[in-house]
Amino acid sequence: MDKIDLPERPGWRDEAEKLGFTFADMGGEPYWDETSAYRFSLRQIEEDIEAPSSELHAMCREAVGRAVRDGEWLTRLAIPRPYWDLIEQSWSHGEPELYGRMDLAYDGGGPAKLLEYNADTPTSLYESASFQWLWLEQQQAAGVLGGATDQFNGIHEALVERWAQICTPGEDVHFAADPDNPEDYATVETMAWAAREAGLGAHFTALAKIGLTDQGQFADDQSRVIGTLFKLYPWEDMLRDDFAAHLQSSQTRYIEPPWKAVLSNKGILPLLWQMFPGHPNLLPAFFHADIAEAMTGGSPAPAIAGAFDAARDQLARGHVIKPIFSREGAGVIISENGREVARTEDDSYSHHPLIVQGLAPLPDFGGFHPVLGAWIVGEACAGLGLREDRSRITHNLSRFKPHFIED
Amino acid sequence: MTGPTPIRKRSRHVALILAGSATMALAACEDNRVDAQSFPDLESCIAASQENGLWFTEEDCRKNFAAAQQEYLETAPRYASKELCEQEHGAGNCGGDPAAESSAQQGSGGGFSFMPLLVGYMMGSMLSRGGGISSQPMVNTPDGRYSTPKGDQTFASNRGAGKVSGATFQRAPATIGKPPMSAAQVSQRGGFGAGATSRSSGRGVFGG
Repeated sequence: MDKIDLPERPGWRDEAEKLGFTFADMGGEPYWDETSAYRFSLRQIEEDIEAPSSELHAMCREAVGRAVRDGEWLTRLAIPRPYWDLIEQSWSHGEPELYGRMDLAYDGGGPAKLLEYNADTPTSLYESASFQWLWLEQQQAAGVLGGATDQFNGIHEALVERWAQICTPGEDVHFAADPDNPEDYATVETMAWAAREAGLGAHFTALAKIGLTDQGQFADDQSRVIGTLFKLYPWEDMLRDDFAAHLQSSQTRYIEPPWKAVLSNKGILPLLWQMFPGHPNLLPAFFHADIAEAMTGGSPAPAIAGAFDAARDQLARGHVIKPIFSREGAGVIISENGREVARTEDDSYSHHPLIVQGLAPLPDFGGFHPVLGAWIVGEACAGLGLREDRSRITHNLSRFKPHFIED
Repeated sequence: MTGPTPIRKRSRHVALILAGSATMALAACEDNRVDAQSFPDLESCIAASQENGLWFTEEDCRKNFAAAQQEYLETAPRYASKELCEQEHGAGNCGGDPAAESSAQQGSGGGFSFMPLLVGYMMGSMLSRGGGISSQPMVNTPDGRYSTPKGDQTFASNRGAGKVSGATFQRAPATIGKPPMSAAQVSQRGGFGAGATSRSSGRGVFGG
């Protein structure tokens, strides 16, 4: 893995605009940045990223299977009591998942470490699946990249296949998001193209325009009943909204399914560490409440005392505190050797329970820290997108970087 | 000699264009048509299966009748009153909800205890689309015709063979009310989107 300076495609900004990629620049800063790209070997892609990510997803499914039947875990994950049944039912009925993105720390050697799993509302799908793909094809055509180069990017085809697998032919699917947020909308539209290619009917409705019919079903902005709903809106918020009481009785099919509330919750990280302690792709993780005293000389919660002792030195060298719910790095604090070294200003999620995770230092490539986004489609890893940031906490103004495979 | 095909880690094609908001309302696609046959009951299906050259066997009849019965219970519309039900399905064509009687709480949507009667089932050969045989229960329409629970496909009879849209065999969502995409009376809006887990007020970022 290295970072290579490359000439930009002449006129790519015009092309981005023509294609509707309107947020390629944000706030005067480039978001899409092709002045350089990350290069991986095929072995790194397949053995260090693809296979471990698919395995991590399988482990996550095991953890979900355990948590949905365990009131103690559901409580720790802050899932409101009235919706435990909705979540458990969606799991026991085998409602299929569609996609997710694992954020990994990886420097080209050693195992990739799971930082967190956005298994519910991952964005940057268009740039990963489509614009990055176009970049590779055009750079090959221009001779900037050799004809033997490749990219880990089967995302679009995997999505088409997955849609066809989990829906009936011709099924009408509503896509709900905030239309005023171009990043969210682009992800939803990319997803809807894949659904249409799979033979499904795709209909957009603004999230806030969804209504409740007099028969207790959900309806779109044109008052048409919603049967299947893809929502780019987190389950933890769905479960706290005014319409939450109607989620189950409306009989709507949700994509992602309700059990993703367990997975897209940073509380899953302590559960994974408890179930798979020492796994090479995991970082030690605990609920803050269990170890806060122990970190300052007191004793940990008895149930995790052994695991904490094993991880104590690693956590002392470096750890990250983050709320179980948060978006775009909000509420993240990094400490090293007893000293706070980084913190995001946004604390709008910091009233939620916190977790403590061992620090996996992000590699430094020319002053930037990349985070790998491993895309999971269905149950397997299907592609890769990278974002990098000058800061050690990746947030929504990070840059998206293309990658290629070359041996 | 040719070597092994090189592994390709990327899609052959992708969807490139983002059209932006407001362009996503699209018409339903043309779908291919499949062989179908409908029966008022299991016995008539079994009788028909004895004829040569048909695409279903007695076992298919039994299996699909059972599936249609189950699907009827899960997806046929439910109503708060018999009058309402008869408005939608014709006089004398409605009865009590068997599911509501067996389990007072689960699944029936509470208070919706009248359903159109099961008046037959339709089987379709999905072989041309890589599937086996599918079935759908049939209920009456108010004008004396027959339809699947989704209600978007109606037929003159519950007896006969022909070609129907493959969409006929799409399962209706488990309903307490109306099928997807049908117009409905909306009593309130705006119950989603508050972003309750964030303390910062106003619209946040929901993806990440």
